[in-house]
Amino acid sequence: MTVEFGYPQEREVRSGARVSALEALLIEKGVITDGTVDKVLRYFETDMTPLNGQKIVARAWTDPDFAARVVDDTPAAIADLDLPIGMAGAEGEHLQAVANGPGVHNLVICTLCSCFPWPVLGLPPYWYKDPTFRARAAREPRVVLEEIGIPLDPSTELRVWDSSGHSRWFVIPERPAGTEHLGETELAALVTTESMIGTALVAAPGAGA
Amino acid sequence: MSGDHGHEHGPADPTAPLHSSCVTDTDAPTFDAPWQRRAFGLAVALSEFDHYPWEAFQQELIGSIGSWEAGSDAERSSWEYYTHWLAALEKVVVAHGIVDEAELAHRVAATARD
Repeated sequence: MTVEFGYPQEREVRSGARVSALEALLIEKGVITDGTVDKVLRYFETDMTPLNGQKIVARAWTDPDFAARVVDDTPAAIADLDLPIGMAGAEGEHLQAVANGPGVHNLVICTLCSCFPWPVLGLPPYWYKDPTFRARAAREPRVVLEEIGIPLDPSTELRVWDSSGHSRWFVIPERPAGTEHLGETELAALVTTESMIGTALVAAPGAGA
Repeated sequence: MSGDHGHEHGPADPTAPLHSSCVTDTDAPTFDAPWQRRAFGLAVALSEFDHYPWEAFQQELIGSIGSWEAGSDAERSSWEYYTHWLAALEKVVVAHGIVDEAELAHRVAATARD
């Protein structure tokens, strides 16, 4: 695996030993139990996934009142949805939604490290943490968007949101045309993680990305 | 194509191309190795159970990544996000008196010998 990813083998072995040693020491000291880390990981890997963000977006597309509230007070608005317990914790209290619309496109980045709205989008895609992406998206976001297939009209306002520990931004993308007949569940399935970061648009079914 | 490939250019180069799979590889695994997953879980668990505020960990992570970015290509190691995560985790647990630095180093040495 380490060869496949091109990391120095020696460093990988060393990193593995460092993590094992730290966890063992913490268990020995009674700081955590031997099940603590697995429990936290399960929570992240099964409950806190992009499915939450998809439901939020689909609700915003079908309920104008919710659409207004989710931008105004994100944690309060999503508390009304049937999402996994604990959404308020794990940084969820800092969630902030921003909405795309005619003439407005939002892009979420994190130039400092890789702050990400875990509760609604799960863990970040690897490229979000990439130093080149982080730096270039901050410096020349229009160029980056064009390169990845979202050429913005010069008249479109591009808002770039730099995440921090206190603001975990996510995007409510625009509902694609031709989806008027779809229900909330079908709409949710169209929403990608990338569209909620602002690095993709949502395509209508069969329209291609 | 997936993973935080160790690539050579840093953010100082504004013309560096994005990865070919950048922002299109939606099936990329979040972790490239089991230790990355454990390190992630440990950092979050300790914060969730109030051993340190999340911001304290985050500041260490920002510091570690910042040092790497400030270094020259010749002197720094290849980019791997979770090596910074692990370094930040070790710093924050020592800074908050959760483990002793020498004790941790001793245990790492013993684990590496196994």
